[in-house]
Amino acid sequence: MSDMTNGGLFSVPGLRRLRVMTQKELLQLFRDVALMVFFLYSFTGDIYLAASGVSMQLKNAAIATLDADYSFASRELASRFQPPYFQPAGSVADARQAIRRLDDGDVMAVLDVPPRFQERLQRGEQVSVQLQVDTSNSVLGFLASSYGAQIVGKYALEAAAQREGLAAAGGIAGPVVEADTRVWYNPNQNDAWFMGISELLTVVTLFSILLPAAAMVREKERGTIEQLMVTPLTSFQILFPKVVAMTLVILAGSAIALFGVLGPLFQLPMRGSLVTFFLITALYVFTTAGLGLLAATVARNLAQVGMLTVVILMPMLLLSGAWTPIEAMPPWMRGLAWISPLHYFLDAAYGILLKGVGMDLLWDSVLAMGGLGIVVFAAGMRRFGRQFG
Amino acid sequence: MNGQRIVALAWKEWREIIRDRLFFALAFVVPAMLMLLFGYGLTLDVENLPFAVVDYDKTAASRDYAYRFISSRYFAFQGYAADEHDVDALLADNKVRMVLVIPPRFDERLGRGEPAPVQVLIDGTFPERTQTSMGYVAAINSAVSLDNMAHALSRVRGIPLAEARQRVQPIKLEVRYLYNQSVKSIWSLAPKLIMLIMMLSPPFLTAVGVVREKESGSIFNIYSSTVSPGEFLLGKLAPYVAISIANAMFLWLLATWLFGAPFKGDPLFFAFATVLYVICTTGIGLVISMLVQTQVAAMIVASIVSIIPAVLYSGVLLPLPSLSPAASMLAHALPPMYYTNIVVGCFLKAVSWHALWLEVLVLAAYAVGLFGLGYLLFTKRPRS
Repeated sequence: MSDMTNGGLFSVPGLRRLRVMTQKELLQLFRDVALMVFFLYSFTGDIYLAASGVSMQLKNAAIATLDADYSFASRELASRFQPPYFQPAGSVADARQAIRRLDDGDVMAVLDVPPRFQERLQRGEQVSVQLQVDTSNSVLGFLASSYGAQIVGKYALEAAAQREGLAAAGGIAGPVVEADTRVWYNPNQNDAWFMGISELLTVVTLFSILLPAAAMVREKERGTIEQLMVTPLTSFQILFPKVVAMTLVILAGSAIALFGVLGPLFQLPMRGSLVTFFLITALYVFTTAGLGLLAATVARNLAQVGMLTVVILMPMLLLSGAWTPIEAMPPWMRGLAWISPLHYFLDAAYGILLKGVGMDLLWDSVLAMGGLGIVVFAAGMRRFGRQFG
Repeated sequence: MNGQRIVALAWKEWREIIRDRLFFALAFVVPAMLMLLFGYGLTLDVENLPFAVVDYDKTAASRDYAYRFISSRYFAFQGYAADEHDVDALLADNKVRMVLVIPPRFDERLGRGEPAPVQVLIDGTFPERTQTSMGYVAAINSAVSLDNMAHALSRVRGIPLAEARQRVQPIKLEVRYLYNQSVKSIWSLAPKLIMLIMMLSPPFLTAVGVVREKESGSIFNIYSSTVSPGEFLLGKLAPYVAISIANAMFLWLLATWLFGAPFKGDPLFFAFATVLYVICTTGIGLVISMLVQTQVAAMIVASIVSIIPAVLYSGVLLPLPSLSPAASMLAHALPPMYYTNIVVGCFLKAVSWHALWLEVLVLAAYAVGLFGLGYLLFTKRPRS
């Protein structure tokens, strides 16, 4: 009777079984209230925090001046360290005080101008200025010294041009190279877009490994897997609905994150086709869930699944290029990145959302991701079949 | 409080852990693996940035100029592009991250002593990498400009090139890199990885370990026994704290031996602070385990709760001063930031109690607070 009322595609017995099993998985998932609350939090609050709070850039780094010259020129140089990159933080009397302020983390850099700075500058002698930078954080340290060098270099060149009579109204009249730098796709260097998408992909990855794997091992641990094995269901019909159910839930979560958080609150552009985005996300969840199921065939209890998830998840996150550029990694790690599905998903997600590219450029990523998915899923099914067949 | 019961519980828990061979092995393997993986892979240096050149000038000068980028180790040359239309696809498909466009009459303008414009197109998808590469571009351009100016001046004034060079560059900037003189990422990274991994692993282990009893129902043995909640928590958590302390020591060895990070601080102080931190993060796991009923939920909550503050709000990847006020408040409200200060202080700055007493105090307060909360949440009479 129910076959007739449902009709359509699901009236085929195999598909009906898939549908019923999917419903069972969804029900089981929704009944874990704490899990669902956290699921929602992960796709909203967590992404909001990641997108809103963090900036990868040097902003308002406190810089103190140790000015031994007290001249017009030294003050002029010091005054060029301005926001957005720097924030003047007063002057220090001597080197010991400078070191103490750096030790305390009170300032990030100290500009040390020697005595007779102006005098020697005017006479055309070369004079050294020192910039002490706290490089405990090497990225920040690099940026601070790089901007510092630019500021001092510009000041020096202008001073030289003025002295040598090469100065023009708009700057320097010499044979210099003037770079007009244009940043594409994210012209205002909005960190929220990058961090928001990156966090969304991380959360998607976490759930797509853990949820299907846990659902599988829970059946093993409780023994309900034996009940399933005595039904007419094939191992594909047992495993696949778990993936389908989790994929549906994760896609819903991604939609909430995009349309509820990143779109309205952070003006994420979403330049490409969203249908393509969700299709690729579904493919990615399927591939990653395959990895989870593979882990589930190794693990005997949930605690083991949890640890194995970390073993899979962390390298995937690292090798995706989200946290750190793949180009800069050692060659053997770069090779590993090619088998990380997240690497392809990252390309596709940033490509579609920020760059507005379509399948014409993404087909190779999609193909690689699908290929990986089929391989891990087949391996998982084989192991499962051997364990319980 | 009965010491014997605590010991018995701890012993039972310990045996349960080591009998699950895979779990026991992973409890030690995972932190070490993360350390190796991040230590080698998480390089924050931006190098080998793939880029292409569009040269409309096609002169010796423009080729020389492009060669400055091609020969730099920060950039990886992918070839010349014919014109700007090809560039769209290259950037969109991640084939290159930067394109250098040299307009016509580049050589001619420079020859006449005029400024020559060039255009740099950078993929802004990863803002931090974009900024770093803009820094490299600016450095190369200013070197080229200085060279050109020196040549022009030496020609016009008839002075030797060396003197002209000195004249156009009257100020020499010496940058002193403090606390980490080579700005080698791994030195500043390896110590912070101890913080990161010790934030990820203990809550996970603990939450799963406690919730396991809830889910399998063996917690009812505890409920119906004479063991008091305090005794249960101490006995239950002691093995996890012990495992995590062992892991922390091993990570310290990896950081100093394998990655060669200098350890300039007081080992005793560092050990004390680390034990406190591990107790803190174990406490986080305890509180999580009191709030959830299933192991899946425990794992998800533990990962979300610990990864975000450890990675984003601790100063590992991101500079703390560039956090927004709200995020900065959050960073100050969570333990990782304080332990990061301790790790960085001990490894790179050789500071101890006098500079870090506040951090230690905060961690101690956290440890007490979290265990207090766990104690309050644990009840032997579950609502059902």
